Amino acid sequence: MTAIPAVLVLVLAGGRSDALRALGRIRTASALPYGGKYRVIDFTLSNCVHSGLTRIGILTQYAPLSLHGHIGIGRAWDLDRRDGGVRLLQPYVRQRETNWYRGTADALVQNRNVIEDAAARHILVLSGDLVYKMDYAELIRSHEERDATLSLVTVPPPSEEPERYGFVHADRSGRVSALEEKPKRAGGGAVSAAIYLFRARDLLDQLRRPEGGPDLVRDVIQPMIADGARVFAHPHRGYWRDIGTVDSYYESNMDLVRPVPPLNLYDPEWLIYTPSEDRAPAVVGVDAVLSQSLVSHGARVEGSVVRSILFPGVHVGAGAVVEDSIVMHDARIAPGARLERAIVDKCVVIGRGAVVGHSGSAPERGSSWDLALGLCVIGKGSVIPAGATIGTNTLIEIGVSERDFPAHAVAAGTVIRPGAKGRAASAAPVAPGSAP
Amino acid sequence: MSFVSYAMILAGGLGSRLCILSEKRAKPAVPFGGKYRMIDFALSNCVNSGIFDVGILTQYRPLSLRDHIGIGRPWDLDRKRGGVELLQPFQGWAETDWYRGTADAIHQNWIQVEEREAEHLLVLSGDHVYRMDYRPMIEAHLARGADATVAIAEVPREEARGFGVVDLDREGSIRGFLEKPAAPPSGNISMGVYVFRTSALRAVLRQDGERDTAHDFGRNILPAMVHGGRVLGFRHEGYWQDIGTLDSYYRANLDLLRPDPPFPLEDPRWHIFTPSTEFPPARIGARAEVRASIVTHGTIVNGTVERSILFPGAVVEEGALVRDSIVMGESWVGPQAELRQTILDKRVHVGPRARIGFGEDLTPNRSCPEHLSSGITIVGKETLIPEGTTIGRNCRISANLIEEDFPDDTVPSGGVMERELNVAH
Repeated sequence: MTAIPAVLVLVLAGGRSDALRALGRIRTASALPYGGKYRVIDFTLSNCVHSGLTRIGILTQYAPLSLHGHIGIGRAWDLDRRDGGVRLLQPYVRQRETNWYRGTADALVQNRNVIEDAAARHILVLSGDLVYKMDYAELIRSHEERDATLSLVTVPPPSEEPERYGFVHADRSGRVSALEEKPKRAGGGAVSAAIYLFRARDLLDQLRRPEGGPDLVRDVIQPMIADGARVFAHPHRGYWRDIGTVDSYYESNMDLVRPVPPLNLYDPEWLIYTPSEDRAPAVVGVDAVLSQSLVSHGARVEGSVVRSILFPGVHVGAGAVVEDSIVMHDARIAPGARLERAIVDKCVVIGRGAVVGHSGSAPERGSSWDLALGLCVIGKGSVIPAGATIGTNTLIEIGVSERDFPAHAVAAGTVIRPGAKGRAASAAPVAPGSAP
Repeated sequence: MSFVSYAMILAGGLGSRLCILSEKRAKPAVPFGGKYRMIDFALSNCVNSGIFDVGILTQYRPLSLRDHIGIGRPWDLDRKRGGVELLQPFQGWAETDWYRGTADAIHQNWIQVEEREAEHLLVLSGDHVYRMDYRPMIEAHLARGADATVAIAEVPREEARGFGVVDLDREGSIRGFLEKPAAPPSGNISMGVYVFRTSALRAVLRQDGERDTAHDFGRNILPAMVHGGRVLGFRHEGYWQDIGTLDSYYRANLDLLRPDPPFPLEDPRWHIFTPSTEFPPARIGARAEVRASIVTHGTIVNGTVERSILFPGAVVEEGALVRDSIVMGESWVGPQAELRQTILDKRVHVGPRARIGFGEDLTPNRSCPEHLSSGITIVGKETLIPEGTTIGRNCRISANLIEEDFPDDTVPSGGVMERELNVAH
């Protein structure tokens, strides 16, 4: 194997994802728990180390504590190194001008010294909120062979929500002629996977322009293409998902419990690394029923769990039923409770006999808060009272207590916030697209 | 504030009664409870008791243990001051010898105690399953000015026959020891957990070193100390299990599956630490049935698992049945295969439709009837059981066997399979 040229990796992990609602308010999307024991950024970091890339900067800004705690000194990825390793790059106060990162390109501009000091040949700019496995070494090879200014990875266009993606137009040789962001209608055979490999000096030239704007695609990549720079598409053929919305996050997790999952976490050659927790093995009770599920250490299952993902320390009591759901760390599902198509954040308590995602209550048309899939989302640390019935398509915000429930039956399409008792009437359905 | 800050763990012994589980590894390195090794209990007890300076005395097949301990990171024992150190016998300028017994192991490493200027020393065994806060025992030892304090567990009197039985007076002082007595006077047994005043221990070790004894703590050192000094008993309440035999190993593991386990493995106040594997969560398939079992990261279950423990990376294929069994790391149970009361060591491959632990014939094992007679069948590391093979009860199937080592498709109860013998006799 030929030596990998000096590449500096910069992972964009500072974004705020309003579309993740209660899941994304307390953490940036990259730090979202995923797949039973991971955080989403583990995929990007594991890809890096498996590809032999060990000089990594992670650009953080929004709600970074969860991510910082997770990354630590990078030990889980063998990134606690003398040379290189992982470095967290927060915005900081400067002598003359101080700013938050105003956008992806601005984050790079503010870290221009990091890029310059690295003296790397190429800069690989990644997003921490994508789920995929990819060998970047192949990307680097084709980038060098083509003597490209920029190689951007593409994936087949998704069937839904084309407005969330950038469509790439390329000729047969892969030379990119246009990158069209958020088109009104889907066009072209590929979308950008938000994985960019720049020749370092060309990127720096672009970042040094005084008139440069804050956005990486609009203000760096599109001008490069317009100037006729050598920009090439590099198709990625495997699984790739952007989990930036509640629905896409849910569906990507559920992909893992399909009979033949499209993403194999068990490949010994490409394990996804994450800091392990010191939990006991999972205990499955005498009357438990478990099927098509992922179960992590520290979990205790006495009830029934079907097509679901249990994170560390989740307890499912006797007679409880968990179906098509994601249950994060240390949540307690009391005996006799029922969860259907729910995303339950950390440390949530579902009271005895409570029903969440009660399918008997069909969502009223037009009353959905924004979920096409009709999921229930329960924010971190919330408590669902014993015996409550929560309809489908419901959002229980972070830290909601038993007192906050106006009634034991919560209609489909409702949003419940902490301290909302006095405004019981406001626990009414909200229109789609309204602010959280 | 306790004045005991150094612990030495005896981890060198050959555990012959654990059969092929300890053929390739020291007993403290034998896997236990789904993700642990036996030494994790003593080590975790140390750090949970605030003792962060630990020496582990190894002699017999230390590699597995060495890999497991590493630099002690899972226990927070990778430290600038203290930490964990493996003390293997070494060649010196003047004297060179293997450890002649548990006491000799500590005597040969006395420099460790001296360097620390330790006034008291905690001595532990690496092959016991228990949770214990050593601090109250240390406090009692210091408060009463003892030369030695011995932790005492109470077992049913008839079971005490296999242990060192302690004769206690009313004040809790020890008057004498009976090593494996035929008729135990009580069920008070020594747990192999000791606090010593180092000056007193030193004197006895010196005398013992010059005599022709077994150089054993239980048999030689403590009786000598009782003779000339003040030895206290300290009662330990709660679960304690010496994993001395295959039966006790099997029972201690399956105890964890009881609806009321003797102790919870998951206790946030008393974690049992161990190096974690990098496997994904356990994956349970659509046709799987899992009941009363322990599953760990990296296990994949598509068949039926009942009252069993699956270690990391164990795979149970569709239609397979695993009942009352222990399946260690990365072993594979093929489609339609059946395991009953079977212990599979690591990376065993059980071919499709093979049956292990089959039948009701409880003929004791031919070569070690004293250790394999309760019905358990055991298969050594990395052995390949060919498709369709039937193996009875109380069988011992050695490590690293391949298809050609099984000339017949049946191994009757009590059978032994080894490379050299090449026959099921």
